[in-house]
Amino acid sequence: MMTRLFGLLLFGLLASGCASKPSSYVVLMESPDGSTGAITVSTAQGTTLVNQKQQGVMLDGKAAQTAVPVEPQRIAADFTPALNAQPALPVSYLLYFKSGGAVLTDESKLALQEVLKTIISRGPSAVSVIGHTDTESGAAWNEKIGQKRAETIAKLLRDNGVQVLELVVTSHGERNLLVKTPDDTAEPKNRRVEVLVR
Amino acid sequence: MLFNKKTSPRALAGLFLVACVAHAEPGDKPIGYVMKVSGEAFVVTDGVARPASVGMPLQVGSSLRTGPAGTLGVTFEDSTLMSFGPNSELKVDEYLYEPAKGDLKLNANISRGTLNYISGVIAKLKPEAVEVHTPTGTIGVRGTHFLVKVEEAGR
Repeated sequence: MMTRLFGLLLFGLLASGCASKPSSYVVLMESPDGSTGAITVSTAQGTTLVNQKQQGVMLDGKAAQTAVPVEPQRIAADFTPALNAQPALPVSYLLYFKSGGAVLTDESKLALQEVLKTIISRGPSAVSVIGHTDTESGAAWNEKIGQKRAETIAKLLRDNGVQVLELVVTSHGERNLLVKTPDDTAEPKNRRVEVLVR
Repeated sequence: MLFNKKTSPRALAGLFLVACVAHAEPGDKPIGYVMKVSGEAFVVTDGVARPASVGMPLQVGSSLRTGPAGTLGVTFEDSTLMSFGPNSELKVDEYLYEPAKGDLKLNANISRGTLNYISGVIAKLKPEAVEVHTPTGTIGVRGTHFLVKVEEAGR
């Protein structure tokens, strides 16, 4: 508790410095998925690892290198406009296919409607469509099937009014299995198209 | 930009990325797009500042700039998100996203203002490949969300 108080006090002092204006600093935040990652901050004074949320390091070129807590009010005062300008988080969807071709399963046909609705509501997006297969049949053939599946979905996106800034269509064939299997194995979860919307 | 579906996007991406590293020119494959904008905001590519609009492409070497009441949000090819408050400027010095070949790099420089940063695939696959520089320090990104404020010297 004392260290925490001291940290806050220290940060306040450092932040005010000689001038009354808040200075330069970096602060770690909770990630969108609820986890907290880490950053390293290197200055002339050395390198500091920050791995606790709402901990920061001064970047004024003078202060000692320690991670200290940053008050939420301070974060809000400095970063609200930047946070409000954050684009929608990228999302990805998986659609599954019947064996041997580019026909969606009945479940995925239904899911597709939701996917389309969500993508359209995001507005202009960069979209990647990646086709995959299971390990039945040969690798070269599966590259083609993967491509055919991806192109089927890409066409559906275009035909349904998705505003694409770019639409990149690729096939991974049987090279990128969701469920690892031996060769020549039918696996419904591997017969899929991944739609990544940014 | 819409790719012809008959071309091989992978091969194209590789070619364009090589070109991007050598010299960024309009027409190269975009490394990201403006996704959100309000007030005065600009994308500066090859010394030409264009008012930012949703869907505007970014290139290696592009600078992102906001005015006194401007904000700007951009999304990169690897799903890295950056958004800026007023009076901000950041230059994308290096950007490479070719996961199949392991060619990954994101090197940006914020000279003033406020940045909200959410890392993408590059930081996940190769954390040491991501660096955000400020006038007095360098932030290494180990896959995460951070905020940075840069007060200009002498202000």
